[in-house]
Amino acid sequence: MNAIEIRKISKAYPHFTIDEVSLDVKQGYITGLIGPNGAGKSTLIKLMLGMIYPDSGTVKVLGRDMPQQEVDIKQRVGIVSDEGGYYDHLTIHDTKKLIAPFYEKWNDAKFNRYLEHFELSPRKKINALSKGMKIKFSLAIALSHEAELLIMDEPTSGLDPVFRRELLDLLADMMLEEKNSIIFSTHITTDLDRIADYIAFLNRGKLIFNEAKDDVLNRYAIVKGGPELLDADIRKEFVGIRETSIGFEGLVDNKFTAKQLFGSYVVMDKPSLEDIMYFTVKGGRIHA
Amino acid sequence: MLNLLRKDFIALKSSLWISVLHFVIFSVTFMPQLDTSLYFIGIITAFAALSLGTAIDIKNNSHQFLITLPIRRNQIILAKYASAVIYAVFWIVVSFAVHWLANIIIPELGKPNYSLADIIISIEITLVLASIYLPLFYALNKKGATVINSLFIVSFIIFAQPTTYMINNINESGFLNQLTFLFPVATLALFGASYYLTTKLFARRAI
Repeated sequence: MNAIEIRKISKAYPHFTIDEVSLDVKQGYITGLIGPNGAGKSTLIKLMLGMIYPDSGTVKVLGRDMPQQEVDIKQRVGIVSDEGGYYDHLTIHDTKKLIAPFYEKWNDAKFNRYLEHFELSPRKKINALSKGMKIKFSLAIALSHEAELLIMDEPTSGLDPVFRRELLDLLADMMLEEKNSIIFSTHITTDLDRIADYIAFLNRGKLIFNEAKDDVLNRYAIVKGGPELLDADIRKEFVGIRETSIGFEGLVDNKFTAKQLFGSYVVMDKPSLEDIMYFTVKGGRIHA
Repeated sequence: MLNLLRKDFIALKSSLWISVLHFVIFSVTFMPQLDTSLYFIGIITAFAALSLGTAIDIKNNSHQFLITLPIRRNQIILAKYASAVIYAVFWIVVSFAVHWLANIIIPELGKPNYSLADIIISIEITLVLASIYLPLFYALNKKGATVINSLFIVSFIIFAQPTTYMINNINESGFLNQLTFLFPVATLALFGASYYLTTKLFARRAI
């Protein structure tokens, strides 16, 4: 079962296009949405939430059509972002008073527990909250209306390492409930190395892949070798390659084919998500 | 929709004094000068309150937040049209009450005896203005909406005097009394059409 099903969605802007993206976000798992800045991650999230409408294609969230059933969907979805658009002259307490009546499953006791846990004073004004505190607050809101799906737009960028780790632990706790799902957009891939089950990689408005993280990390490999091994045909085997005067380092998307091709003449390493993102975005030959 | 009205009240709680201040300033300015001060004080204060209620939603890109709540976009619009009616009725009734009191306490001001028809006409004029203002506000981006807010308030100040003169003339000819009962139908039709247009404009807008 999928928490989100996006089918052939397109959205054109003057200088940017989301191009026929189809994406499934599996229910019960954490999916990391990665891509460089400007890849279309936030646009895709806005399309999921009905904040913008696609030129073509469909979006289903928790089995319901967006935007036809948006009220049902939003009752069950929590959105975590540091740009919440809250009324910043209000206190946390007033903002809660304003939001709570909209949700059928609002849990006041749970909200107060999260405030205490995050060390957020209800008397503090929204405009006095740091970026990290705003993330904590929007997380408290999302978790207090029993959201089954958390949509998180760059929640860890600009956060200190202590809270980043704390946030990741909280998300892991939320996943103990089987029906819960999370989609987590970020360009800080190390966060996803720790918690993501699936990785969806978006680049220049196109979906490069959406696979289980372990499958991705097993399929791709970093290949390092001397310059004498490279010719035009060999270079085509790489998703991206970085060449120096003493050798090369490149990413291949099929480790087993690369093993057959290079044998023991090269060193093969397991890539990180950051390596995969870097070489895919840079593509072709990079001279260092 | 009730939750959205409640939301507006909570968000505007700390700014309610601004509407009271508007009312006091307009009363002090217009009451001694204009026979039709009932209209202007009520209408301008109601409109300024509506403008305050819309401005607060664009100040922090709060449409971005509202759109994530479990409500439909047209409910956001409906709540603003309902607010326009509430502000119009409230401030015009307050204006009527203050004029009535002024007649008793300071008879030398020489204010005419206003009737129910005057209240109805004032509410109708406010709703006609809201019908023009709200589609413009929701069609435009943050910058444009701020310009529209300022433009409407400045227009009120500039056109207050000539419009008063015109209403006075019409009033004296008795034509206004005939229109009092024609206006509601036209106003309601315009208000409904304006709501329909605004929902259409806002429905496809990228937030």
